[in-house]
Amino acid sequence: MGEAPTLAWRQRKQQRAFVRSVLYHLIVSILGLAMIYPLLWLFASSFKGPSEIWTHITSLIPEHFTLQNYINGWAGFGGIRFSVFYKNSFIYAGLGTVIAVLSSAVVAYGFSRIRFAGRDLWFACMLATLMLPVQVTIIPQYIFFRRLNLLNTFYPLLLPRLGGQAFFIFMIMQFIRGIPKELDEAAEIDGCGKAGIFFRIILPLIQPALITAAIFSFYWTWEDFLAPLIYLNSPKLYTVSLALRSFADPSGSTDWGAIFAMSGLSLVPVFVVFVAFQKYLVEGIATTGLKG
Amino acid sequence: MNRNRWPIVLGVVLALSLALSACAPAATPTPQPKPATAAAQPTSAQAQPTTAPTAAQAQQPVELRIVWWGSQDRHDRTIKVINLFMQQHPNIKITYEFVAWADYWTKLATQAAGEGLPDIIQQDYAYIGEYTNRNLLLPLDDYVKSGVINTADVTPAELDGGRVNGKLVAINLGSNSQCWVLDVDAFQKAGVPLPAPDWTWADMEKAAMQIHDKLGIWGMGPGLWDEQIWASLYLSLGQWRYNADGTAIGYTDDTPYVQHLERMLRLEKAGAIVPRAEDVANYYGKSVEAQPIVEGKAAMAYFWSNQIVAVWKAAGENRNFKMVPLPRMEGGKSANYIKPSQFWSIAATSKHPKEAAMFIDFFTNSVEANEILMAERGVPISSKVREALKPKLGKSQAAMFDYVAEVSKTAQPIPPADPPGHNDIVKNVLYPQVADPVAFGQLTPAQGAAVLRKEANAILAKNKK
Amino acid sequence: MTVRAKLAAATPGLRGAISRPGERRRAAYRRHNLAGYTFIAPWLICFFAFTLIPMVASLYLAFTDYDILSATPHWVGLRNLQRMFFEDPRYWRSVRATFYYVMIAVPMRLAFALGVAMLLNTYRRGVSVYRAIYYAPSVVGGSVAVAVMWRQIFGTDGLINAVTRLFGIAPVTWLGNPRTAIWTLIVLAVWQFGSPMLIFLTGLRQIPQEMYEAAAIDGADAADRFFRITLPLLSPVIFFNLVMQTISGFMVFTQAFVVTGGAPLDTTLFYSLYLYQRGFDNFQMGYASAMAWVLLVVVAFFTALVFKSSSYWVFYEAKEGA
Repeated sequence: MGEAPTLAWRQRKQQRAFVRSVLYHLIVSILGLAMIYPLLWLFASSFKGPSEIWTHITSLIPEHFTLQNYINGWAGFGGIRFSVFYKNSFIYAGLGTVIAVLSSAVVAYGFSRIRFAGRDLWFACMLATLMLPVQVTIIPQYIFFRRLNLLNTFYPLLLPRLGGQAFFIFMIMQFIRGIPKELDEAAEIDGCGKAGIFFRIILPLIQPALITAAIFSFYWTWEDFLAPLIYLNSPKLYTVSLALRSFADPSGSTDWGAIFAMSGLSLVPVFVVFVAFQKYLVEGIATTGLKG
Repeated sequence: MNRNRWPIVLGVVLALSLALSACAPAATPTPQPKPATAAAQPTSAQAQPTTAPTAAQAQQPVELRIVWWGSQDRHDRTIKVINLFMQQHPNIKITYEFVAWADYWTKLATQAAGEGLPDIIQQDYAYIGEYTNRNLLLPLDDYVKSGVINTADVTPAELDGGRVNGKLVAINLGSNSQCWVLDVDAFQKAGVPLPAPDWTWADMEKAAMQIHDKLGIWGMGPGLWDEQIWASLYLSLGQWRYNADGTAIGYTDDTPYVQHLERMLRLEKAGAIVPRAEDVANYYGKSVEAQPIVEGKAAMAYFWSNQIVAVWKAAGENRNFKMVPLPRMEGGKSANYIKPSQFWSIAATSKHPKEAAMFIDFFTNSVEANEILMAERGVPISSKVREALKPKLGKSQAAMFDYVAEVSKTAQPIPPADPPGHNDIVKNVLYPQVADPVAFGQLTPAQGAAVLRKEANAILAKNKK
Repeated sequence: MTVRAKLAAATPGLRGAISRPGERRRAAYRRHNLAGYTFIAPWLICFFAFTLIPMVASLYLAFTDYDILSATPHWVGLRNLQRMFFEDPRYWRSVRATFYYVMIAVPMRLAFALGVAMLLNTYRRGVSVYRAIYYAPSVVGGSVAVAVMWRQIFGTDGLINAVTRLFGIAPVTWLGNPRTAIWTLIVLAVWQFGSPMLIFLTGLRQIPQEMYEAAAIDGADAADRFFRITLPLLSPVIFFNLVMQTISGFMVFTQAFVVTGGAPLDTTLFYSLYLYQRGFDNFQMGYASAMAWVLLVVVAFFTALVFKSSSYWVFYEAKEGA
């Protein structure tokens, strides 16, 4: 830093920072607008009446603003209102997320920090489960759950999650690998067993990864319709994702306004989860176990 | 506790809880059907008069499962009818399931694989062949004969659609027929006379070109590539596209189809119909409400008659539409036939087929029930029900009823159900290997027809016993 | 106290005192086995209970003519494979479409995700709003609504054509033209880059600021900082995203299912979509299972390639790497 901090120098620095800031916000917001346009269209359409949706497709501002789509959509089917579907989705996504993330963390620790016989084999198996399209395993799985008499319950949806999910296991593994082993060794010297290290050292340090996993898990589970379709028979148990699909019938009449309205509404919880948790991501973690 | 015991305890607890939850409802094989009661019921029904529900109340409680596809409107109406039925038959409890059309066959197939089909199944003409050939649907002739399913007000033609290999396996829920919907105002503006009911393909081409010239819009919307149109060309000549035992293509002359393809290319070149690219881009898989005639972008459209209700609703009640039958081949007869829009079938594994049949009877004949349904699935097959509904119909529904009644007078008998392999042909040959290549200029119409014949025969040959 | 004594004191529950070095090594190894298996026990149990049998079943079905509706499949040996490789033109179209998609969409998506993550890796005001906006598209997933939305935007009167018209380009039927249809899906995939972006962001946050400051003091410029600090420290996360995006790229299904259905001319007939059609629409689940296992082999191969290459470019902070 050569120049002395004169007033003029400070002013110029502030101007440059200001211009940079404006430029930054300009670029980021234009790009952001492009990203979000389709969603804006979705919301706009949800406020249009049935004859306007298809006749004035491109306009973002409805000619005749109406809330009727939301009312129609919320009514659901045959007396089962959307609140029921929301409840089911929350149960499935909420419980499913908690179970999946916690289990995945436990398993990830095992794979990444512990050397044991057969580790590479099981890791390969775990990745392989991601590579077989679900469409061909779904019927054998269905028959299996049918034999156990677990159809039309949430068990087939939640039980498999007790083992964690390959995506999250692998993801958390990568984060754990970013934590220096010296921390583990220090804890071991202090008398911690593997479990102790897990609970006291690793778990606190991978919080951002756990939060990220939770966000993903929640929204993917919220969107999932294949498992609910196959295993849930009674419409009272339907999740939002499944209910939304049941609105559309190409052979008959479809209330697209209601679909848009309820689709938009169904994005809200996922978004709220994201916004609520993202501030934990902001903090980040300090790998400060090695200060000094 | 020693820290090293921790993981062991954790693991064991997890394993135990998993084992417990997995074993809790012990693996029970599906309960065996009770042949005694099932056999007893039809015989007792034969002694009774037809639509008398009170006899059933003396019997034990029965649980039925039912499944259908549709949209919100249909779900609401059907659920109301189910509740009505349960009110009148307190010993019968019906649990219902419904899904979207796009998912229906996935779910049904999965349930069939797991031997868990619901008692009452909504069926479609394209699939009853496949399901019947694997003995998954119960023949209903006995119930009709004994009067459990009363068909006194139904013409045989309307029931025949549900016959496979001579056996009645499905009851028609609403009659449908194909139609051309005309935008009357557009025709008037262009100064083109409305076609007569016995118009030909040449007439259609002429009208489409004229409208395009005068108004600049498309004369005809998408739909000419549809596989049903392929069938209609030959039906108009009195032939069916498949042979009698479904082992090969049924017609020997490819010329009608080749001419049809050439006609479409001519129209596309002149800009008088929706180009195939746009068809796929904008209109494929999109619902009825999104078709160009709704927005006024086309003057004609190809639909099934029950879709007119949705079309009219989306386009606005003030529009003027007219429905006419399909264009015919030169010198041919009407290509229209009455097709059941969908059916109720009973699963062969159903443990209470008689009660299921009673429900189907109720659905078909009860005026009260049909006033709730309001012909949402198509024109009801019972003439008594039709008469009762007439005064209550809206403009588009009345148009639908009148059209079906009119067309029935000159319609052909319904062609046989498509053989196994038909879906394969449509999805894997007709569109991707014939229609698209011809439309995009990769094959000539003659070549396209040749590919269709060769590939379809190869697929159908597997049906040879 | 010697190290050995310390260890002995720390693990009293382990079969008495540890005496000889060999015994200690074996003891240490055994101990790790138990702990290891205990920690992966949840996954292992669920794998055996819920996943392995269906996988093995589908492998068996790949050699049969199982049609779902009939209870008993018949063995046909390699017939399915023969048909697939030599008699089915649509099969190769689906392979081509899928490879095209993976080669283009995966790198684009990762590049965007990394770029935007870096852009958002700042403490400026409003960045959390931007984060939410950039993540929003991913939230829509493959729902019914996104299909309508997407077809609308790429339709003849849609937004994209409106923008190109501004630049004097004639409107294109994006979804109907065989050359451009697949790009609508590629753009859709890239539009939904929120998930890998979040993961990159989390990884970026883990890089201590001190590193950058130290480098700045040493006179490193922005490019240096990126290539010598950011990339290496981010490499475990890049590796993860690469593997996962590649795998999910090969398995792409929902978007094609709801938006294009494989049309036109099968240019968007992705592999998973085609096998779903064969399995459930055509009742040829045996054939579909054969297709599925071929896919698994191919994806496993590519994944293994990436794993093998990782020892060259992935840098783990933990000394004893993988």
